[in-house]
Amino acid sequence: MANKTSSKRQTFWNKVFNPNFIMVYAAILIFLIIYAFGAIMYGNVGFTTLRTFINMFLDNSYYGISAVGMTMVLITGGIDLSVAAVASLTGMIIAYGTGVMGIHPAICILFSFVVGIGLGLLMGATIHYLNVPPFITTLTGMFLARGVCSLISRESLTISHPWIDSLASWKIYFKHYVDGEWVKVKPIAFINLNFILFIAMILIGFFILQRTRFGRNIYAIGGNEQSAKLMGLPVGKTKVLVYGFNGFCSVLAGVAYALYVKSGWNLSLQGGELEAISSAVIGGTLLTGGVGNMLGTLVGVLLKSVIPTLITFNGNLLSWWGKIATGVLLLIFISIQTFITNYTARKKI
Amino acid sequence: MANEYILEMKQIEIQFPGVKALDKVDFNLKAGEVHSLLGENGAGKSTLIKCLTGVNHKDAGQIILDGKEITPTSPQDAISMGISTVFQEINLCPNLTVAENIFAGRQPMKHGQVNWKEINKRAEELMLRFHMDIDVTRPLYVYSTAIQQMVSIARAVDIQAKILILDEPTSSLDDNEVKLLFEVMRELKAEGMGIIFITHFLDQIYQISDRMTILRNGHLIGSYNIDELSKVELVTKMVGKDMDTIFNLKRANVDPDAPYMLTASHIGIKGSVEDVSINLKKGELMGFAGLLGSGRTETAEMLFGVKGTETGEIKKNEQTVNIRQPHDAIANKIAFCPEDRKRDGIIGDLTIRENIALALQARRGFMHPISRKEQDELSDKYIKALGIATPDAEKKIGELSGGNQQKVILARWMATNPDVLILDEPTRGIDVGAKAEIQRLMLEMCDEGQSVIFISSELDEIIRCSNRIEIMRDRRKVAEINGENCTQQDILNIIAEGASALEEVKA
Repeated sequence: MANKTSSKRQTFWNKVFNPNFIMVYAAILIFLIIYAFGAIMYGNVGFTTLRTFINMFLDNSYYGISAVGMTMVLITGGIDLSVAAVASLTGMIIAYGTGVMGIHPAICILFSFVVGIGLGLLMGATIHYLNVPPFITTLTGMFLARGVCSLISRESLTISHPWIDSLASWKIYFKHYVDGEWVKVKPIAFINLNFILFIAMILIGFFILQRTRFGRNIYAIGGNEQSAKLMGLPVGKTKVLVYGFNGFCSVLAGVAYALYVKSGWNLSLQGGELEAISSAVIGGTLLTGGVGNMLGTLVGVLLKSVIPTLITFNGNLLSWWGKIATGVLLLIFISIQTFITNYTARKKI
Repeated sequence: MANEYILEMKQIEIQFPGVKALDKVDFNLKAGEVHSLLGENGAGKSTLIKCLTGVNHKDAGQIILDGKEITPTSPQDAISMGISTVFQEINLCPNLTVAENIFAGRQPMKHGQVNWKEINKRAEELMLRFHMDIDVTRPLYVYSTAIQQMVSIARAVDIQAKILILDEPTSSLDDNEVKLLFEVMRELKAEGMGIIFITHFLDQIYQISDRMTILRNGHLIGSYNIDELSKVELVTKMVGKDMDTIFNLKRANVDPDAPYMLTASHIGIKGSVEDVSINLKKGELMGFAGLLGSGRTETAEMLFGVKGTETGEIKKNEQTVNIRQPHDAIANKIAFCPEDRKRDGIIGDLTIRENIALALQARRGFMHPISRKEQDELSDKYIKALGIATPDAEKKIGELSGGNQQKVILARWMATNPDVLILDEPTRGIDVGAKAEIQRLMLEMCDEGQSVIFISSELDEIIRCSNRIEIMRDRRKVAEINGENCTQQDILNIIAEGASALEEVKA
């Protein structure tokens, strides 16, 4: 109350240093440091090319798509462990549907959406109305989806269908204008459907979170679910829809993965749910809910893909060093988060 | 149809497992009046409000709003009917901005998008109406409880409700803020809103209300115009006993030669409380007075080992003891009942029995479990002795009213049979009857040869019970005065001016 006269609209800098964004800055900063390190060490062998940069998006687009839905689930204070299993199931449905049953892949994909969104809504309803912890509910969902995967086939099935092939091979090449004509940049860089899906989902996620009531309710629930209820917000509906939306993202990630590897395997993407969760957390989403945003998640995905890239360029390190580096990063980020949370909790006006 | 009431609640009955929370209660509210709802903790005020706001559901009776019968099924439902509530605990989302907390769920939209500009502009205007010139684009958690409380009131007011329910809105506000709130309430009243006001502060009731309704043990005692009842009559009706019997408390009788139970000499922590000395006698009740933040709680925490002391020494039974953590204090039979019971005291999901047994179990160590039979005896004994209003000991403590929760915590520490019991604001937020009850219990403990340190912001309480009063100011102990013949003014002078005022008291 002492600030009755002193407090005014917050300054530009105040806004920039909003504690909720510090995590995003930290992620961007660490990304830049690693990128700069790569540029110095391996700039001469192509680390700084557009191709390398774009490939960081392409190689992880399916995790990125899943991270969009996951970010929302985490902001509500929940968690979803079923995403990778659902994505894997999508691959199986497409592979089995087109290969064995001879159904058009578009119908298989449509069917996958029904299954994925349905499972998401069901889990959301279980979490909210039966009051089962999200961890347990979605763990069940994960086993269920994995189980059905193995039921369909326990062997890897190739997806070969002209429609899928055409989608997977569709590309837009980066070109530049040289001597009066457009030529492809060297080394060749392109964006594909997965890239577009990833970026589109990030933008859609951003819009939902920042510009719709539904999105704002997600934050309110994460801030304090009991309060949100007493404020008259549709808590149940929002939670169920968030898990439904995440189911949609899982299936879309599964489609992207199917386009990437052109096969379905019941054990594919094992542990992928943790990739999505850690991307969101590195991007500043609090596991306790209420805080997070899509820009952060985008940076989180990029940060996680720059490390393997670096290892590839090094050529001598085992790829498992990537996991170790991610683990260390996660630890650092969670420590910073805890520090900021404690710091801001103590600093009241 | 001409009807003078905008809200009528008729013959409301609500049954909880084992208790009838409300028994044929009538309540009505006119447009443009402030109507106080009064009663002790557990009298049924909150239950009545929760019934009106759709949190609890009535088993019988009628609610008539504007001539139409309604059955609110959820808070959302009640809000849409024009019943808006500010709860005692702040029910906002700390992670959202002030502006968004005011408009959550009904954000102005533009082209299908949330219109942030409009939200911030309107929120700023609204807060200015409450004379709060604050930055509404900052998250709520950066602001103090008082500001947060104002924000929740702003939200409730902006909903354009017909009925505004304020459940203890003033418990975290200072005098100026209360004045401000009353101003706003009067404006709203003039606009024709019906306001239901719940508070434990009797003065405030008389300042702002037009009428009052009194409940006791789930029964309606009556509705009165504000000038019909004096304060004394009001309290008598609330507790069902005479004022005199309530406040007929005798100070503990301390033998002048009694041994020292607990002495602290020059204890302190750099940058926090420095250089505090006390000597507590056996059977003595020592009061701690001072403003919030004057170092009262910090001193208690040092004595209990929550914060280790950096300087000075503590003696228990005239022997030096080393208290570095609460465990050491418990081992030395010192007990501490912290200020914020919601945060530090109760474990809401455990039953009354389990909550009572906690501290005793901790002292015995986990190798010596307290048998179920012992636990049952213990809890039954204290439920009876302390008059805890509950059907049985197996009720979750979170479901009790504030005063009863406080009694359970008191029971927890009494069960360990401590030599020294430190109570930090044990009577905050509870009603007159329960307050007197807790004071009586403290004095009984002193009579049995235990010593009590009693921290409170309410000076009359301190003066009524204490043998000696320690006065804290700016994180230092500035004076120690005899409780027997001092007045509130004496203490206030010392708090305001420091120890120099003490000379005048003595003179």
